[in-house]
Amino acid sequence: MTTLTPEDVRREPALQLAAGAGGGWLVIAGQELRDIWLSARGPAIVIGTSLLLSLLTYLAASNEELNIIDQRDTVNLLAQITMALAVGVSLLFTADCVSGERERETLESLLVTPVPRGQVALGKYLAAVSMWPVLLIVAIPYIWVLREGEGVFADAMLGALVVGTLLVIGFVSLGLLVSIFSGSNRLSLAVAFFIFVLLLAPTQLPLGGWFGDLITQTNPMTAGSTFLHRAIVKEHGWGEDLDLLIAPAVWAIAMTGVAFIAAGRLRLQGSFGR
Amino acid sequence: MAQASLAVDGISKAFGETRAVRGLSLDAAPGEVIGLLGPNGAGKTTAIRILTTIYAPDSGSFAVDGIPYTRPSAIRQRIGVLPESAGYPLHQSGEEFVQYFARLFGQSRKSARETAKTLLAEVGLAERAASPISMYSRGMRQRLGVARALVNRPRVLFLDEPTLGLDPAGQRQILALISEAATERGATVILSTHFLDEVEEVCSRVIILNRGEVIAEGPVADIKRRAAPRTARVRVPEENHESALSALKRAPGVGDAQAVNGGRGLISATLDGSDTNAPIRALLEAGIPILFFELEGGKLSDAFLALTGEAGA
Ligand SMILES: Nc1ncnc2c1ncn2[C@@H]1O[C@H](COP(=O)(O)OP(=O)(O)OP(=O)(O)O)[C@@H](O)[C@H]1O
Ligand SMILES: [Mg+2]
Repeated sequence: MTTLTPEDVRREPALQLAAGAGGGWLVIAGQELRDIWLSARGPAIVIGTSLLLSLLTYLAASNEELNIIDQRDTVNLLAQITMALAVGVSLLFTADCVSGERERETLESLLVTPVPRGQVALGKYLAAVSMWPVLLIVAIPYIWVLREGEGVFADAMLGALVVGTLLVIGFVSLGLLVSIFSGSNRLSLAVAFFIFVLLLAPTQLPLGGWFGDLITQTNPMTAGSTFLHRAIVKEHGWGEDLDLLIAPAVWAIAMTGVAFIAAGRLRLQGSFGR
Repeated sequence: MAQASLAVDGISKAFGETRAVRGLSLDAAPGEVIGLLGPNGAGKTTAIRILTTIYAPDSGSFAVDGIPYTRPSAIRQRIGVLPESAGYPLHQSGEEFVQYFARLFGQSRKSARETAKTLLAEVGLAERAASPISMYSRGMRQRLGVARALVNRPRVLFLDEPTLGLDPAGQRQILALISEAATERGATVILSTHFLDEVEEVCSRVIILNRGEVIAEGPVADIKRRAAPRTARVRVPEENHESALSALKRAPGVGDAQAVNGGRGLISATLDGSDTNAPIRALLEAGIPILFFELEGGKLSDAFLALTGEAGA
C-alpha cells in the first residue's frame, strides 16, 4: 500500500471535485446501458418485439389478398404497438431503477458518492429511454414492407417519432417518480404499470360524445394515439391535429419536471410501501 | 494532534418517537481507529448514516476534514463507506464494480482501471478480479466492499459491522485491512461492531452507545478499568478450604469470599481496591498453597455488559 504524500492530499480532492461533480450522469448512464443491452434483457425485448411485428405483418399480408384490412390500418397498428411496447418497457425500467437498488441494497453505496441525486436519476432515465429509438428502428423494415401509396412511410415514421418520444419521456419520468418514493420494488412496478394500463385502456374503447372527446384530448395516450391514427390512416396533414399533441407534450414536460424535482429529494428509504 | 479529521458536536436524530441518536460528540485524528459499540438498536448505524450524509441530523453539527456538514457533496468526496447491508450487482465482476465507483468519484477510465487493480490486489482479490461477484464468498464480498470504500482515498472510513457473518480467517483479513488503512493511508476509521475482541485488537478508542446515548467513551484500557467490581478465583487444596475462606475474609483489600457452587477448594473473592494481589498475599501469609488464581472482570466484554446493563434483553 502506498502512503499518501502531502502532494497527493492537496491534489486529489481538487481533481475529483472537478470531474466527479460534472460527469456522474454519463458514468451512470453508461453502466445502466450496459446492464440493459449487454445482458439478456434488452436483446430479449428487441427479439420479442420483432417476432410480434413479424407475425402481424404476416397476418396482414395474407389478409391483403382478401382485402379485409386497409394497408394504412396495418401500418397504423404496427406503429401504435411499437409505441405502446416502448412506453411500457421503458416505464418498467425506470420504475425499477431506484426502488430496485433499494431492494438489492446497492442504493446506500451510490448515495455516498459525490454524484448529485439529480444526475443519478438522469443517468438511469437516459438508459431507460434508449429502448425507444431501438424499437422504432426495429419497426422500420415492417412499416417499409407494408407501406402503400404516397407518403405512408414518412407519415408513419415521423408521426411515431414525435408522438412516441413525447409519450416515452412522460412515462419514463412517471416510472422514475414512483420509484423514487416507493419502498418496495413490487409496489413501484405495480403502481407504474397500473397507471400505464389505465391511460392506455381508453385507446381500445369506442369513445364518443363530449366526454369521449374530453378523454381523447386530455389523456396523453389517447391523444397521441389518435394523432398517429389520423396522420397515417386519414392522411391528415401535420397542421390539422396539432391540438392532439398538446396533451402528450404537457405530459412529457410536466412529468419530467416533477420527476427531477423529486430526484433532488431522493432518500435511502422510500416514503411509502415499506 | 493534527487537525481533527472528524469533529462531531452533539448530533441527534429521531425517527418519530424513537430517539435513535442523542447528542453524540466526538473528535478523531488521522490514523485513529474508533470503535462504535452498542447492543442492537443502540444507534450505531444511524450515527454512521448521519456522518455519511445519508440522514440530516435533527440537531448538532459535524465536520469531516474541516468541511461542515452543510456541504454534503464535498464531504462525500472525502469519506469511504461500507454500509451495514451492502448489496452488490452480482453480474458485475469485482474489477468492473470497483472501476465503476472510481469513475463515480470522477476518475478517468484509465486511472479507474489502475485504482481497481491496486485495491483488489490490496484486499487479496487480484486473482478473482474478473469473476462475477455472484461467485464471491461472503468474506470476498466484504473485502470487495472495503476496496470500494477506498477508491477515493478517503480521509475518514466508515465501516458498519464489516465482519458480520465472516469466519475467523475472514475476520482476520478485514481487521488487517482496517489497520492498514489507518496506519498506511492515515485514514480515520470508524468501526461499528458487536465483536469486542475486534475492538481490543484494532481500536485506539471506543464509544459505547446505548439507546442512542453515549454511555462510555475513551481509550480501550480506560473502559476496561471501569468494568464491574472485579473478583478473583482461587483454588486451594480441599483440606485448606475453611482456613482459606477465613483468611480471605479477614484480609485488607478483599471484600467477601465464598465457595464457588458450594464446592470445596474453589473460592471466589471480591476485590475492594485496586490491589489485585491482596488475596494472594493473604493466602501466602496464612501458609495456604495456591493451586490456581484468576482475575475476573477487567475485560472489555465485562465492561460492556456492565455498562449496557440488560439493554440487550
Ligand atoms: N429508518 C428508520 N426508521 C425508523 N426507525 C429507525 C430507522 N433506522 C433506525 N431506526 C430505529 O433507531 C434505533 C437505532 O437503530 P440503529 O439501526 O441505528 O441501531 P444499531 O446500533 O445500528 O443496531 P444493530 O446493532 O442492530 O445494527 C432503533 O430503535 C431502530 O429501530
Ligand atoms: Mg446497525
